Amino acid sequence: MADITSSRRYQTLAGCGVLLIGAGLAAGALTIPSTAGYAGVGPNFLPWIVAIVLMVCGAMLVWEARSGGYREMEEPSGAAHGDWRAIAWVGAGILANAALITVIGFILSCTLCFMLAVRGLRASEGKPAGSVRQSALDFAIGFMIAAPAFWLFTKLLAINLPGLTSTGWL
Amino acid sequence: MDTWNLLLQGFATAGTPINLLWAFVGCVLGTAIGVLPGIGPAVTVAMLLPITAQVEPTASMIFFAGIYYGAMYGGSTTSILLNTPGETGTMVTALEGFKMAKNGRAGAALATSAIGSFVAGTIATVLVTLFAPVVATYAVKLGPPEYFMLMMIAFTTVSAVLGKSTLRGMTALFLGLAVGLVGLDQITGQVRYTAGVPEFLDGIEVVLVAVGLFAVGECLYTAMYEGRSTTELNRMNKVHMTREEWRRSWPAWLRGTALGFPFGTIPAGGTEIPTFLSYGIERKLSKHKHEFGTIGAIEGVAGPEAANNAAVTGTLVPLLTLGIPTSVTAAILLSALQNYGINAGPQLFQTSSSLVWALIASLYIGNVMLLVLNLPLVGLWVKLLKIPRPPLYAGILIFATVGVYGMRQSAFDLFLMFAIGLVGVVMRRFDFPTAPVIVGMILGPLAEAQMRNALSIGEGHWSVFVQRPMSAVLLAVVVAVLVLPRAMKLMRRSG
Repeated sequence: MADITSSRRYQTLAGCGVLLIGAGLAAGALTIPSTAGYAGVGPNFLPWIVAIVLMVCGAMLVWEARSGGYREMEEPSGAAHGDWRAIAWVGAGILANAALITVIGFILSCTLCFMLAVRGLRASEGKPAGSVRQSALDFAIGFMIAAPAFWLFTKLLAINLPGLTSTGWL
Repeated sequence: MDTWNLLLQGFATAGTPINLLWAFVGCVLGTAIGVLPGIGPAVTVAMLLPITAQVEPTASMIFFAGIYYGAMYGGSTTSILLNTPGETGTMVTALEGFKMAKNGRAGAALATSAIGSFVAGTIATVLVTLFAPVVATYAVKLGPPEYFMLMMIAFTTVSAVLGKSTLRGMTALFLGLAVGLVGLDQITGQVRYTAGVPEFLDGIEVVLVAVGLFAVGECLYTAMYEGRSTTELNRMNKVHMTREEWRRSWPAWLRGTALGFPFGTIPAGGTEIPTFLSYGIERKLSKHKHEFGTIGAIEGVAGPEAANNAAVTGTLVPLLTLGIPTSVTAAILLSALQNYGINAGPQLFQTSSSLVWALIASLYIGNVMLLVLNLPLVGLWVKLLKIPRPPLYAGILIFATVGVYGMRQSAFDLFLMFAIGLVGVVMRRFDFPTAPVIVGMILGPLAEAQMRNALSIGEGHWSVFVQRPMSAVLLAVVVAVLVLPRAMKLMRRSG
């Protein structure tokens, strides 16, 4: 039964999140002037509607969560409990990529992201991850995906991606 | 015969070597991502949106349409062999297809789905060719109030009809509308919700939200919850149908097409409803009822697959003639057109006639390409299913970076992408539908502009929406969509 109570707690939290977003939008809507013109409704009209509806939805979600859980829920797929360690690795990969892409260039930054993410995903499957040999292999695979992607998109399709050097190849 | 000439011109444009190449690459890529779990046509087109800055509109629309189409063909392969449907539209295919494959009839299931997709796709393209120009000529007469009501229908069906809970659907829709609010107001140029961040002035890119919700969200969800889930891969055999299987398939293809196309054309939210309806009908009509759910009935694959493809093609009618997307991928195609400064709508058939007809012609060509790619070469695609999950999902992140960073060259967007990915995990865990978010964020600003223009016409009176007959009818449809299902539920309960 512990599962059900904890899942309801998370449901309540998700509802509160929606409520908060609605409240935030309402606070923002206060600062938007209503230059209504002929229409009678100005640029602050839709923001108010969205804010109010989201607050109502959030409140109803919280109410549902408190009174027996969300209605007509599909059982979520996968494990009952989250693997926080795995998601931390993947998240670290994405964040490192965001922080480093303009510093060390697309190819190396994405290779690093790949290495961290693949490690987390492999750990979530309960497989060994993180040995030197495996990491070297991950580096190679990541590089083999990132480098051709970089060349394809920058050379052929002229999309702007940051390089480490100005040669256009790395 | 005017249509005929325009179509021939379209074939001339689509048939140039470079455009054929784009169509081919699109079909190959589409089939591949359709086969691969964890990535769908919407997010792929979204990731590739940065190319709209370089590639000319006709070529990129042909390319994107190839991806959209190819994914539908490829998705059925995964449903049949792996029982994890890649796309919502192929969920039903998995019901019977997987059973058939389990009992050694994978080849027949793959054949009926590929040929059925071809038949349905081609018939539906003919219908688009015939009907879209007609719809466009009528659509020119619609004013802002009618447009606003049509968009309201799209909103209500996407959020209230699809998915189980209207409350969670509405929440998702309004989250999308909230995202769409960020940036400059279309009519007055008023700055909204930028919080002083200069990146927000241009609004939030659809690439960012689609990639964050679908690609990054999927990757994070997999790491967090799916690590121990296992899938079994069915054995392939020769792709071939017996005479008996042909005889049972073709009526199902035609019925599926007849069901799917109309559902695609009305703003009723894509492929889910017609595929389920088709499955129900085939099950009822079949002379082999005992095969359903046991050893797998071929009609149960043929019908829904045809319905799926016909509906996908049908979604092009409202997209091209009204500028109203009824599926996530259509919404992203619309934003691709917006990137070119092309306003999809009834004028599109006049202002961008060569683009529209080249696109339609490329659908005929694409269907043939996909039939070839998916029948003799299906064995090749099956190999993709053997890629282990960790490098596949981690690799998707690299392409997510290309799409998101390539759009605006802003590392800030990559941080935002991660945040949206986390929202995606929460939404998936608690069974919030994601399609309304995308449709809301793209259609929201358009709907807002139409609403305010409509009210300007009515000099500030809301009665403008009921005084015009067409708009009043559409309003009645919106109310019916919201009220009828509830009323029926209540009646069933009391009766």
